[in-house]
Amino acid sequence: MYTLEDCLIEFTGSLISHAILVVYLFMIMNTRGRQVLKKLPALVFSPLLGTLIEAGLYALIPDRGIVRYCALSCSILLMCTLWVRWAWQTGFWQAFAATCMAGVFQVAVSNLPQLLLLNSELQYAAAMVIYGAVTLTSAALLYRLRFGHWFRLLLEEGSIQRRMALFSFALEAVMEAFFILQLGIQPEYLVPYYLLVVVMAALAVGLVIYLAQRLDAARKVEAQRDIIAQQQLYERDLEDIRREVRAFRHDYKNLLAGLSEQADEGELDQLRATLAELDAGFDRRIGEKIRASAQIGNVRVPQVRSLLLSKLAAMSEKGIDCRLEVLYPVERVGMDVWDFARCLGILLDNAGEAAAETETHWVEVVLLAQGEGLSLRVSNPYAGAIDPDSIWAEGFSTKGEGRGLGLPSYQRILAKCPNAACSTGWAGGVFVQELTVEGRA
Amino acid sequence: MIQIYLCDDEEAVRHQIKTALEWKIFVENYDMEVACAAATARELLDAARDGSRSVYFLDVDLKDGEWDGFQLGRELRRRDPHGTLVYITSYGDLAWKTFRYHLEAFDYIVKVPERTGPSAARCLEAVHARLLDERRDPVEVFSLRTGDETRHVPLADILFFETAPKAHHVFLHTADSRMDFVGSLNELERELGGRFIRVHRAYLAAADKIEAVDWKGNQVRVGGRTCLLSRAGKAELHKRPGGEP
Repeated sequence: MYTLEDCLIEFTGSLISHAILVVYLFMIMNTRGRQVLKKLPALVFSPLLGTLIEAGLYALIPDRGIVRYCALSCSILLMCTLWVRWAWQTGFWQAFAATCMAGVFQVAVSNLPQLLLLNSELQYAAAMVIYGAVTLTSAALLYRLRFGHWFRLLLEEGSIQRRMALFSFALEAVMEAFFILQLGIQPEYLVPYYLLVVVMAALAVGLVIYLAQRLDAARKVEAQRDIIAQQQLYERDLEDIRREVRAFRHDYKNLLAGLSEQADEGELDQLRATLAELDAGFDRRIGEKIRASAQIGNVRVPQVRSLLLSKLAAMSEKGIDCRLEVLYPVERVGMDVWDFARCLGILLDNAGEAAAETETHWVEVVLLAQGEGLSLRVSNPYAGAIDPDSIWAEGFSTKGEGRGLGLPSYQRILAKCPNAACSTGWAGGVFVQELTVEGRA
Repeated sequence: MIQIYLCDDEEAVRHQIKTALEWKIFVENYDMEVACAAATARELLDAARDGSRSVYFLDVDLKDGEWDGFQLGRELRRRDPHGTLVYITSYGDLAWKTFRYHLEAFDYIVKVPERTGPSAARCLEAVHARLLDERRDPVEVFSLRTGDETRHVPLADILFFETAPKAHHVFLHTADSRMDFVGSLNELERELGGRFIRVHRAYLAAADKIEAVDWKGNQVRVGGRTCLLSRAGKAELHKRPGGEP
């Protein structure tokens, strides 16, 4: 018979497991600590509902322990995922993966109390203290290993998010299986069995960190290859300028000869006209190029420079008139360089796509260094109407399915940067995106 | 009287512009005067200590230690948020948009021998016309800080404020923009008084922009946009004159 006392014991056990789970979740998510703490009380519903579900299931199928256990675990996993999604404001799959991963650790340590209580001299309270201490130490150790950082890195990329979630779920399922199988282990083998579980958990941690490092390295190599290619483009531009200057030097000798002739004859008006022509000719042929290369040269952050070069070159090829202004040298971006580069890429892609659909194709980029931070402004004309209630919504695009998916991920990247602010404007047929990063003074 | 300040390190250019401006003021009988024609940024900053809504003609390529045209403009903008900035440049390749967006510079003139004076005079005419407009209907503005800059948004343009998903950040919505800044709705509610109504924990809407209230659906339409409506927000709306059940 399932009594009230059973219920209470079940509830306490579940509550403790949830507390442990939360410790690991904090280690994995590692941000927004205070705000999430405020939302913590809502998590109590999970063990509460869990207990009720268990009681209900017991009434329905009293003799199928494993089925009950699986159903209960899944429902608790789901409730915790929803809570994580709400508390950290992440996507569903990210929340699911994080919960599963935290679950792996939680199940791994939850074998411990039974093991301790096997040794009957130990008090229940003492066992719980050791349990708590082991949890906190292992969480601290994982924190030192920057496990959360690597794990979240794997979840950032949209394409592998679901695979990662599935992978974590599989790990969690394996752990739960270990937990159930423990019931069938003879007491003298419990210690080695438990060691096996711990080793499994450690292997899982190693695997996740290894995967994340591989991904990170691949991303960096790709970016470096980009930088080299862009640097070559830049050099070709400089070479163009050099050739133009040589050609101009030749013309300019002829022009000077003409000028001195006009001066000799006292034709002041003509002299002025020729001078103006000389000035305009210089501006047209070299001035604009020198200006552009000086602007791009002011961007001293290689990742950002190469990105700007490649995106602007691609837009020029499509016949979009690009203008870049960088008044002061930009030495740093005030936030993670790769994150900034991704934001810039998204903004430039969106601007290029939108500008291409209008009568006047132009895109304007203004970068201004501000102390330790910087300000970026990308503007472009757009065609059609903008619905301000929905442009930031996930998956929305003015251009139909599958395009313009950038803005939500742009927001997602910036959500991690407390010192970044992004404003948007769409007055007078011009769409403007501004990103201001304040220096971390 | 509106003060005009001029700063250029080339004696000849300075003289040319100053003469042209003074002549224009005399001919058109503007209520303006050239208060100072400085060669260095320091000199100008000392002279323009208490300038307010003044007009500044500044050289872009000032070579004066730490000061260049942009820095000087930024300092003047800080002291005189509603002043008018006009830049003088030797080449047409000025990073004009940067000046325009970050300093709200009004215009620029290019130094071309014999044409600098007339363009300065033409520019002054445009400045004068704009100042007349502004004097006719001065607008109340809401100031917000992003990065190193302070922006001014006419209070009448604001539809509503919304708490951003990021901690301590607030979105300001107008009909054609959304701005992100550091602040809190509680503070804004206190600061802006009765012109805005807290319709929801996360929304502070302009009272005169509320078009329709959906009492059942817990929503308010503000300037064509949708805000959430809470029970406390409903109570707030009921308190207002004209608030219907």
